[in-house]
Amino acid sequence: MENISGKEVDAADSDARLSEKELTLSMGPQHPATHGVLRLVLDLSGETIVKCTPYVGYLHRGVEKLAENRNYMQIIPLTDRLDYIASMANNIGYCVAVEKLFGIKVPERTEYIRTIVGEMARITNHLLWLATHALDIGAMTVFLYCFREREKILDLFERLCGARLTVSYPRIGGLKNDVDDQWLEDLYKFTEEFPGRVEQYETLIDKNRIWLRRTKGVGVISAEDAINWGLSGPALRGSGVSYDIRKISSYGVYDKVKWQVCIGKNGDIYDRYRVRMDEFRESNSIIRQCIEKIPKGPIMADAPKFTLPAKDKVLSDMEHLIHHFVLITKGPQTAPEGELYVATEVPKGELGFFFVSDGTGRPYRMRIRSPSFVHISALPAICEGELVADVIANIGSIDIVLGECDR
Amino acid sequence: MTANEFIKKVFFIEILKGLALTLRHFFTPSVTRQYPTEKREPFPGSRGLHALVRDPETGREKCVGCGLCAAMCPSQCIHIYTSEDDDHKKVVDRYEVEVLRCVYCAFCVEACPYGAIVLTDHFEYSGYSREELYYTKDRLLHNWDKYMANSKGREYLEKFWRPKSEDFGVPAAGHHQAEGKKAT
Repeated sequence: MENISGKEVDAADSDARLSEKELTLSMGPQHPATHGVLRLVLDLSGETIVKCTPYVGYLHRGVEKLAENRNYMQIIPLTDRLDYIASMANNIGYCVAVEKLFGIKVPERTEYIRTIVGEMARITNHLLWLATHALDIGAMTVFLYCFREREKILDLFERLCGARLTVSYPRIGGLKNDVDDQWLEDLYKFTEEFPGRVEQYETLIDKNRIWLRRTKGVGVISAEDAINWGLSGPALRGSGVSYDIRKISSYGVYDKVKWQVCIGKNGDIYDRYRVRMDEFRESNSIIRQCIEKIPKGPIMADAPKFTLPAKDKVLSDMEHLIHHFVLITKGPQTAPEGELYVATEVPKGELGFFFVSDGTGRPYRMRIRSPSFVHISALPAICEGELVADVIANIGSIDIVLGECDR
Repeated sequence: MTANEFIKKVFFIEILKGLALTLRHFFTPSVTRQYPTEKREPFPGSRGLHALVRDPETGREKCVGCGLCAAMCPSQCIHIYTSEDDDHKKVVDRYEVEVLRCVYCAFCVEACPYGAIVLTDHFEYSGYSREELYYTKDRLLHNWDKYMANSKGREYLEKFWRPKSEDFGVPAAGHHQAEGKKAT
């Protein structure tokens, strides 16, 4: 036997070289399909994954530490940059948590508007998820169609608050500014055409045999495992567990509109995909009902110790001006002491904020429980025993964003 | 497998349906924009480059140098240097914004008790060096003249300088109230 260089080698030596050996493959952090800067070290036996080790932290910015040096209002832009795909949902989650800490009750109109924009954020997130997930698996057209609709919602966000992605729209105890009727009308028009668009995505991939082969029976998570790993959001509901914080805890006006928790059955990638497709329709219906029911009224809570005073009063009244100065330079001075954890349902799952307050204008400690971090911790167990190509599908299906994971 | 399923499988029905959809899109109007040549008007209140409000009466900046915007700025990109003039009044010597560090949250607009800083809807600015994107007081005032000319700036403050009394559901503090207070 000869090798390439023409040198004689004996048969036994060649067998040794051909014998099975595990291959270690480093995937990422600069990999287009890892949805950010996730690095996976894969131990492969042929095409099968023996071990998968995720490395996170490439996008660490120290948001939790930065929050300790900022007053409660200044933290809102930091929460924009957690899950930057659905920053509105993060802002709302943060504001709901701080309001609970301060004991503020926000007006009804604000609750309605927050529900509307929160569900819009859910739609944008799922649109981007569907677009990139389909692109990872090999369907390009869905990507383009999804971005067409996402653009419309982002335009509505820009009209509402001036920014498309990092919105910083909610405020502690209220909102940045009120919505106008024209905006609500345009949003209503969007909700009329949107279910038809979801049908288009389904025409393209729902029954497509390549899509089915890539997703059905792949990345199966049993309901028990999903609960034990602490998954939340569509990743948990895809396994058939009916758990949605919007139903359990009453923030927003989710108890005043008709909607149902979408759940899957088998816990594979296809079911998680179905859950998100159903959530498109549910979110759409929630927005429609909210627009129909939205009452007139104030948008800022009557909590003068915690919200910025009205600008016209600042200009005409000394006390308000002083109060304005104190709130901005030092933060609210009457924050209650104690610890508090509040969770909200963001598009990716359960986003929780844990505060340790020492009564000053800044949180003593702010801890963020991000769904992406928990989902990545479940990734090795999902991937092991499956093929290399399915890693990409698995990463997509649990819907992670590294900005939120690394914080 | 039923006959129906068999036919679907053999004739690629679901793929043909998908292709029919994409084919239909050949004949629908395009939704994309050829950006540098085709531009979209930004929406009012869109958060872009900063500008310092020029007071129409004095022709100088409206800013009094209280430093609240700098205190509020989450990325600490505003630098203000003040001094005293001959009448012991505070004057703003330098007002500088590091545009590269700004996160465009518009909290400076909200923090300003005078309505002296705004974010214009101009977003297309870039430079070859950091110095080009270090906006001094004169450049910020120039931005006001350029992007917030006529009534545009006033309308912006009217709409986006929040919160106002109407947001709290209480009557606005108009001149009547202010005068009433003086009388009592």
